[in-house]
Amino acid sequence: MRALRTAASGMAAQQLNVEVISNNIANMNTVGYKRQRAEFQDLLYQNVERMGAQSSTQGTVVPTGIQIGAGVKAGAVYRVTEQGTPSNTGGMYDMAIDGRGYFQILMPSGETAFTRAGNFAINGEGQLVTDDGYAVQPNITIPQDAIDVQISKSGQVQVFTQGSTTPAVVGQLELATFFNDAGLEAIGDNLLLETAASGAANVGTPGEVGFGEILHKFTESSNVDAVSEISALIIAQRAYEMNSKVITTADQMLSVASQVKS
Amino acid sequence: MENAAYVGLSRQMTLRRELDVVANNIANADTNGFKVEQLLVGSEVGERARNAFVRPGVSFVLDNGVGRDFSAGALSQTGRSLDFAIEGDGAFFKVQDGNGEAYTRDGAFTLDPTGRLTTKQGQAVLGEAGEIVLDTTLGEISVGADGTITQDDQVVGRLAVVRFESLGALEKGGDGLYRNASNAAATEAPEAQIRQGMLEGSNVNPILEITNLIEIQRAYESVTRMIENTNDLSRRSVERLGRVS
Repeated sequence: MRALRTAASGMAAQQLNVEVISNNIANMNTVGYKRQRAEFQDLLYQNVERMGAQSSTQGTVVPTGIQIGAGVKAGAVYRVTEQGTPSNTGGMYDMAIDGRGYFQILMPSGETAFTRAGNFAINGEGQLVTDDGYAVQPNITIPQDAIDVQISKSGQVQVFTQGSTTPAVVGQLELATFFNDAGLEAIGDNLLLETAASGAANVGTPGEVGFGEILHKFTESSNVDAVSEISALIIAQRAYEMNSKVITTADQMLSVASQVKS
Repeated sequence: MENAAYVGLSRQMTLRRELDVVANNIANADTNGFKVEQLLVGSEVGERARNAFVRPGVSFVLDNGVGRDFSAGALSQTGRSLDFAIEGDGAFFKVQDGNGEAYTRDGAFTLDPTGRLTTKQGQAVLGEAGEIVLDTTLGEISVGADGTITQDDQVVGRLAVVRFESLGALEKGGDGLYRNASNAAATEAPEAQIRQGMLEGSNVNPILEITNLIEIQRAYESVTRMIENTNDLSRRSVERLGRVS
């Protein structure tokens, strides 16, 4: 019975939906996290009777035909790259990107990863690094005698030292943008990698056309909306239940049929 | 005598197929742009045997086709600049793949590495002048109700929205796509409006589908009972007639 398998595909799809939603809710307070959304598509159709086929020698044609669908599949799980709310943290090395772009991070493997999470810190050598100690590219080193750091909207890092009234520029932050943000591969730890689908990174200065601006002492909150996630969870659960009802019905019909021969 | 069993069998077969269609509707209750379907059944008059002038012929049940309800699904806001919904029944986005042109109501598009607007499966979305290629070094795109795409105040293309004289001629191809199975070409649909940042859900009504499910199951049970009774009848008549002679 096809209905059993069709309903099973529906339950599998809703299970994936719940997995995506639960990951969104779990990451509600993750800096720079972009919510994901599962998208579904119908499976292939079996043509029992083709539309447009001749139904008589008089040239009449079947107007609608009979196509029976085989269920549903996951089409894609998207990252929705909507801007998250910047929240004022006051952290000396916290940065949020207002607009498009990613910070570039040098991984221990030598690869470059990309992130929207700008909750940076400095390591023992004064180098600007992520939570995990990976260096931000291009390298920025804060001198030991710095008493205050200012980062401009265009990403210029200025340092005030004891006794000096004019700030010294110690570095310039750069951002990377992609043709297709949704094509970046997430590798955990808030990091993303370039893929063939995302296109090559296009590096530029913050504030240029097509690049976002840096907000110093802010971090970008996740763009997960609790209310819409919970309502999506309710919809997914009900859809799951309805598919299980189809399985029950198909099963009972089969049992009725098998009881004829008793 | 056997006719009752065969009539019952014809109904059982269509009911199973109806269940398949309802199962597909419920499985796709959360699929963007999905249109609900229903099996259309009719009666098929069987050949008359002898006594043709006395008794009416027997009618069997036969599925005539699958009807689709093309009314719009609910629009929901997604906040993604490459999501589009069509307001206006029976209008479709035009896409192209290796098998020619296809049509869809699912406007969750994306970009490929060259900046081409595509569906999730990588089929190119067609504009009025062929494929739509965006310069992603520029800012976000904005799309007007008539489908005009602007990027940094420059018009870069226009989404093509088409409609068909007869929607019954469309054949479903899976992946949310429809293919044109008739000779009638698609025409432009100027009255349809495009909404950016929104997606159209499926138009499956869950309550209706669950009710259909109950109806199908009960009908199946009663037809099966009828077949059982017919079997019973013929068994008993054979027994009794056998005893007399």
